[in-house]
Amino acid sequence: MSPERRRNLTGWGFLIPAAALIAVMSFWPMIEAFILSLKTGRGLRLNFADPLWYNYARLWQDETFKLTLGNTFIYLIIQVPIMLVLALILANLLNNPTLRFKGFWRTAIFLPCAVSLVSYSLVFRTLFATDGFINDMLQGLHLIDQPVNWLGQTGTARFVIILGLIWRWTGYNMVFYLAALQNIDHSSIEAAKVDGAGAFKTFWYVTVPQLKPMILLTAIMSTNGTLQLFDESWNLTKGGPAYTTMTMSHYLYELSFQKNPNVGYGSAISYVILILVAVLAFVQMKVGDKRD
Amino acid sequence: MKKRKLPALLGAGLLALSLALSACGGGGNNNTGGGEGDGDQTLTVWTWDPAFNIYAMQEAEKVYQKDHADFKLDITEVPWDDLQAKLTTIAQSGSYKDLPDIFLMQNNAFQKNVINYPDLVASLKDSGVDFSQFPDSVKAYSTIDGQNYGVPFDAGTAITALRTDVLEEAGYTIDDFTDITWSKYIEQGKDILAKTKKPILSGQAGSSDLIMMMLQSAGGSLFDKEGNPTITDNAKLDAAVATYKELVDSGVLVEVNSWDEYVGTFVNGSVAGTVNGIWISGTIQTATDQEGKWKITDLPKLDGVDGATNYSANGGSSWAISSTGDYKLASDFLKSTFAGSTELYDTILPKAGAVAYWTPAGDSKVYAEPQKFFGDQPIYQMVVGYGKDVPVNNTGVYYYEARDAVSAALTKIIQGTDAKSALAEAQSTVEFAMK
Repeated sequence: MSPERRRNLTGWGFLIPAAALIAVMSFWPMIEAFILSLKTGRGLRLNFADPLWYNYARLWQDETFKLTLGNTFIYLIIQVPIMLVLALILANLLNNPTLRFKGFWRTAIFLPCAVSLVSYSLVFRTLFATDGFINDMLQGLHLIDQPVNWLGQTGTARFVIILGLIWRWTGYNMVFYLAALQNIDHSSIEAAKVDGAGAFKTFWYVTVPQLKPMILLTAIMSTNGTLQLFDESWNLTKGGPAYTTMTMSHYLYELSFQKNPNVGYGSAISYVILILVAVLAFVQMKVGDKRD
Repeated sequence: MKKRKLPALLGAGLLALSLALSACGGGGNNNTGGGEGDGDQTLTVWTWDPAFNIYAMQEAEKVYQKDHADFKLDITEVPWDDLQAKLTTIAQSGSYKDLPDIFLMQNNAFQKNVINYPDLVASLKDSGVDFSQFPDSVKAYSTIDGQNYGVPFDAGTAITALRTDVLEEAGYTIDDFTDITWSKYIEQGKDILAKTKKPILSGQAGSSDLIMMMLQSAGGSLFDKEGNPTITDNAKLDAAVATYKELVDSGVLVEVNSWDEYVGTFVNGSVAGTVNGIWISGTIQTATDQEGKWKITDLPKLDGVDGATNYSANGGSSWAISSTGDYKLASDFLKSTFAGSTELYDTILPKAGAVAYWTPAGDSKVYAEPQKFFGDQPIYQMVVGYGKDVPVNNTGVYYYEARDAVSAALTKIIQGTDAKSALAEAQSTVEFAMK
């Protein structure tokens, strides 16, 4: 055996454990789930559907699914841009070399994403209860006369979920931008300043273009995460009022585990989520990456 | 350096192999079906609510240990939602050996779980439990094709509980709320609201608990005998929905958003009453400052509805033996405790308010004892009396689907949608779910 070949084999040897794990834990269940999505029936009485794509066709008549799809996209369209812009601004502020207590600010903003999803959802639910802290505070400041029924109305309940998401994930994305900012050559920013560009122009024309790959990455990750949103819908609002805050993942959980288990249909929904994530990621790649 | 390569390669290969093998492990499951018992005197139990169900199980353990010294229970706390998810997961994957010997199941879920998963719960045909000692309405939940699958435990028998001091302030007594109709209830409730500023009822927005209680009190259901949803053209449901809307519109019922807030309304005294299963009595009694100021009575009945009664139930649960459980030991244990020990019920009643469905327990002295908190009423004896008259509730397999669809409709109706179209939508939602 030549040293070259042996080195190769060693490399493969180290790769195999991880590859085997991913294959067994991820890819195999994915294939199984796809096969499952072609079956109909409740519980264990499963048969292949006729026609095979029956579950996928069924989606088009499912009013509840359409509602949850709409809800999920509302979260996506409103929350992701706000969060990423906020994260970008915060990262720039923290990147200022003259800023004091930098470590403290960075930790404080990043800390929410170390909190468990369930507990932060429950804290938000308590805060926004009819007799909760937020209402007490607003009434104390005489901004409202009557307590607002935050979680009992569609609009405000969605607002609370979006607020929760922004609170929890902004710091997470900010850290990515901070890391990317470290890699920007400071001389380019100096050059812009010498040429007389103001702070905003420098940021917009010099910093942002150099952050593009990272912005693309965070956008794709956030899209992926939001489309699979479950915890907030489950813990904060239980999907209410009348399903208007329920996400797709919450609906598929309910279908598969809480109600009469329609696992075939649930799998079809999970595949629809996968396709949506793939399509959106592809679009973002095309739009955001001009390198090809 | 050369020497190091081969061991590393071997090590990595072995690691990969062992991981792959362990990942595929647990495949060989030998479902013994109706375990024979292996001389082991320990039973595993899954149930929720430490103050109520777990406590009752621990007391049952003590009762059984008197004749079976080696007997032990191994109880795990599992909230109901998780328990249902666990049952589904275990049944779907066929790993029945992961089931405990005994678990508690919500009555409304029995039909669904037993019909979807015939290998999940053991029939109690040979358990020796005398089912004639349980009321029909309660047994019906866990009876499938004439076979019993559950030992009824937690009574969901419904009560109206009211603050007598608030009633007095407006010139009423508990008798004015006994054996009445909902229209009378609303009329008096409005009067009390005007005089004392206190609503006499609260409920969680988007929860159909009260509607379901009204429906059952008139012997109604969301399904017909064949299991088809009957959410539209259901006079009993229409009456219940109209009553609920009137309760909300008149301010007699105040809606809140969560269970905690609901409990808070009467514990902190902002609402002067509630309507729920008897298990709520434990919660009411946490407001120690209100001792002696509460009394209970039966439910108002729906106006102008055939078969309307003043009795209903909300929830409740029964003990099931799993298909892989130690059937002999588990059935003997349940037979001698929850279906055969007045001593057990006498112990758990005052502590947890655990009213027995097992009728012989109702004859015991403990049940007849006046409860100081409830103005010296013998509330537990009263409730056992109510329990005998609760109409049978046809839950069907799709109970939870229908209940949630009606909850969503209710939310829309309260927000102003017309009842007919909201219920029609609920009907089509359930029909779709059943397709």
